[in-house]
Amino acid sequence: MVGLATSFGSGAMTNSIGELEGAEVLLVTGSNTTETHPQIARNILKGVDRGAKLIVIDPRKTDLAREAHIHLALRPGTDIALINAMMRIILDEDLADDLFISMRTENFTSMRDYLHRLDLDEIAAVTGIDLHTIREAACIYARSCKSVICYCLGVTQHTCGTNNVQAVANLAMLTGNVEKEHGGVDPLRGQNNVQGACDMAALPAVLPGYQALTSPEVRERFRAAWSVAPPKTPGLSLTEMTHSGRDGAIRAMFIMGENPVLSDPHLKRVQDTLQHLDFLAVSDIFLTETARLAHVVFPAASFAEKGGTITNSERRVQLCHKAIAPIGNCRSDSRIIMELGKRLGCPGMDFESDAEIMEEISLLTPIYGGMHYDRLEGSWGLQWPCWNRDHPGTTFLHKYYFARGKGQFTITEHQEPKEHVDKKYPFTLVTGRGSYHHYHTATMTRQSRRLVREYPEALLEINQADCDKLGLREGELVELSSRRGKVRVKAHITDRVQPGTVFTSFHFWEVPINRLTIDALDPKSKCPEFKVCSVNLRKVKND
Amino acid sequence: MIDLKELILAKDNLIPLLRKLKKEARLIAPVKNGYGDTFFTEISDLDTTVIDLDSQPQSSLKPFLLPQQETLAQYTIDKEEYTFTPPEKEQATIYFGVRSCDLTAVLYTDLIFSKPTRDSSYYARRNQSLIITLGCNNPFPNCFCEATESGPYLEYGYDLQLIDLGDCYFVSAGRRKGADILERWGYFFREVGEKDRKIRYQLFLESRGKFTRNVQVAHACRRLQQHPVPETIWEALSRRCYDCGGCAYVCPTCTCFSVDDMPLNKTQGLRLRSWDACTSSGFTRMAGGHNPVDRRQHALKRRFLHKLKDDLTLHGKVSCTGCGRCVDICFGGVDITTFIHLITAAEVP
Repeated sequence: MVGLATSFGSGAMTNSIGELEGAEVLLVTGSNTTETHPQIARNILKGVDRGAKLIVIDPRKTDLAREAHIHLALRPGTDIALINAMMRIILDEDLADDLFISMRTENFTSMRDYLHRLDLDEIAAVTGIDLHTIREAACIYARSCKSVICYCLGVTQHTCGTNNVQAVANLAMLTGNVEKEHGGVDPLRGQNNVQGACDMAALPAVLPGYQALTSPEVRERFRAAWSVAPPKTPGLSLTEMTHSGRDGAIRAMFIMGENPVLSDPHLKRVQDTLQHLDFLAVSDIFLTETARLAHVVFPAASFAEKGGTITNSERRVQLCHKAIAPIGNCRSDSRIIMELGKRLGCPGMDFESDAEIMEEISLLTPIYGGMHYDRLEGSWGLQWPCWNRDHPGTTFLHKYYFARGKGQFTITEHQEPKEHVDKKYPFTLVTGRGSYHHYHTATMTRQSRRLVREYPEALLEINQADCDKLGLREGELVELSSRRGKVRVKAHITDRVQPGTVFTSFHFWEVPINRLTIDALDPKSKCPEFKVCSVNLRKVKND
Repeated sequence: MIDLKELILAKDNLIPLLRKLKKEARLIAPVKNGYGDTFFTEISDLDTTVIDLDSQPQSSLKPFLLPQQETLAQYTIDKEEYTFTPPEKEQATIYFGVRSCDLTAVLYTDLIFSKPTRDSSYYARRNQSLIITLGCNNPFPNCFCEATESGPYLEYGYDLQLIDLGDCYFVSAGRRKGADILERWGYFFREVGEKDRKIRYQLFLESRGKFTRNVQVAHACRRLQQHPVPETIWEALSRRCYDCGGCAYVCPTCTCFSVDDMPLNKTQGLRLRSWDACTSSGFTRMAGGHNPVDRRQHALKRRFLHKLKDDLTLHGKVSCTGCGRCVDICFGGVDITTFIHLITAAEVP
């Protein structure tokens, strides 16, 4: 988010999902798209079937990587080096879009000087990919004028996540692949409404619609509408809050639909923080591991029991209809917030309908300005920015000018992950979502017997070569340990991971893998480095 | 042998006829919902509900004849002894606007649930059903029933078949129940003229020429009988299969199911049957963890060969009806048409 916002002025997908099908080159980096975004993968594969070239950058040999024309299986955490090398090759081959660069971007000169100082052979060694393959990928990407980059958490969940994103943005600007249909930079959002949550300022430093917290004019508008002035200083990010410690500044928390006790890095610290709060309230549809620690639990309504809107990855705001009345005592999230607000003495917490909430959103959020409730009814929704009632919405961003004016080249340098492999911890652990069948900490998906049957337990993906060294066989228990903790998990031998790297998911409470992950954060986005930490493996002997 | 009667029904008389039929049975027909999707839906009021005969229903009759989840029996446990109470009797149901492919699928499921013993639960519903089909004058974009010999018009199997002649329907009775309707409500109909037959035949020929997909089913079947499938084809397909089971759920001839007991309390419970998919790894996994179909490509092999090879050997007919629903549902684009294309394009070893 922060990275793309700095480069382009907006942190959302520049294209629409449907446009991917028409691209000529699809560069997918840090995304296991087929398992985590099947609907988007469907468009990517359609594009491939229509003749598009697919380049996948991923340390793992995912299903999508197997479909790729070029799979760049880089060493985890070396994305910037790889992208920089591609840019240097594009310059050397004279494939840069000079007109676009001079008309639409700034800071290119220093970028070019930096790229010319790079040693390509050194980069090849750092990334573990031979130069010839990098060159091929760079040329394929740069030669087309319909090149799309899709990226996901494999790019952002690093201590250099923001720089990774900026590197990706640099690459797109260098070749002029930004301001058009079928060409752009597309961060894939991990949840159905995470885009909407960001748009509505569930972020520490902005007001709805990414309006600056510091602007007096904006602040005044919100003060007038809310009868309360928004705080002047930015708040904290999620990891900063859940890691504030037992004597930290955070004394009370209200957590909605999130399970940090399993999903945040370095779990011991998270538990420590949450257990020592003066007050913890959790609202969720099931009693999660986090909810069990709460003083008060609000039973929330599920998607089928409430209305409202959902904003998806392509900035499309869609209406969601209530299918059944809430079961038992549960209430929709908006009702819970309003009731809490009323009791805390907050004025204006008496919205009668979803339409009334939407009215306030369009009034206060310029990019949602034309998203009137009645326009959303009976349609497939509208894509922001949508400035007024007559505006049709925007399918792709940055046409004619970037949201911030000119696109900014930001020099990004390769930075090693926080933790190196060493003698004591010789393996690199990558974590993420592990299967099509489970979602996040599986609070919802493990309620389904069929999904549990299909994917019943956590598995550690490990290469055959490593298993031979450890004397491990398929399905045997391994103990994984890092400087922060240990877990036991069943081994699954696969060539999806390279030797020296292991992968597992964070779906199962029985294998709380985030006990091991590092709490190092990206300094700007505060996104934790879920993708790289050093671990040791030991076969568990039968007692 | 029943008298295969043929009559003409003016379009204005369709709703009045359905109104009469609806007095004695539940009426189920394609209806477009608020999102523009057409599904078979029970019609409670013919005056307020519009039957949609222009779109392909996204569901087949499977959800009605073999519901996604059904109660096979209620059980009570008394001194470690189970007593089963079968569910209540099924209601008489008329299915209207059923396409040829879906009727062919019903005939296939009739066969599946009749051997080795008749499935009482399925037949309780099937025996209460009367199916009125509509021949397809305009095949839909994904259809290929011509190639699977299950359309666009039918020659047998239906109770009544309607063919749209423009201002009227050409109605033929294929079974006793259908012929009874023509007799009982004869005053809604008029006799068939020579001109009507000519138009019907002309429309049939035109419809056959309107298919946009060229799916070489017969060719693929011959290849499957004569040569093994190259492993590379299974690999290519399995890479794109997400194992979601969508194809099996929308397929009108997929009948895999699982049976589970759901306890209601200590002494009572329900024995449930729900849809399953042979492509799911949990469907074939045994208690000890061993799976005879242990890879996705083997699961796909099982599904496609069952439809195009095994059933041809067993029943003399493929069990794909060319409805094309899996083409739209498949995320990875590895539906049965892709398989057929790959097979027919592959070099003969």
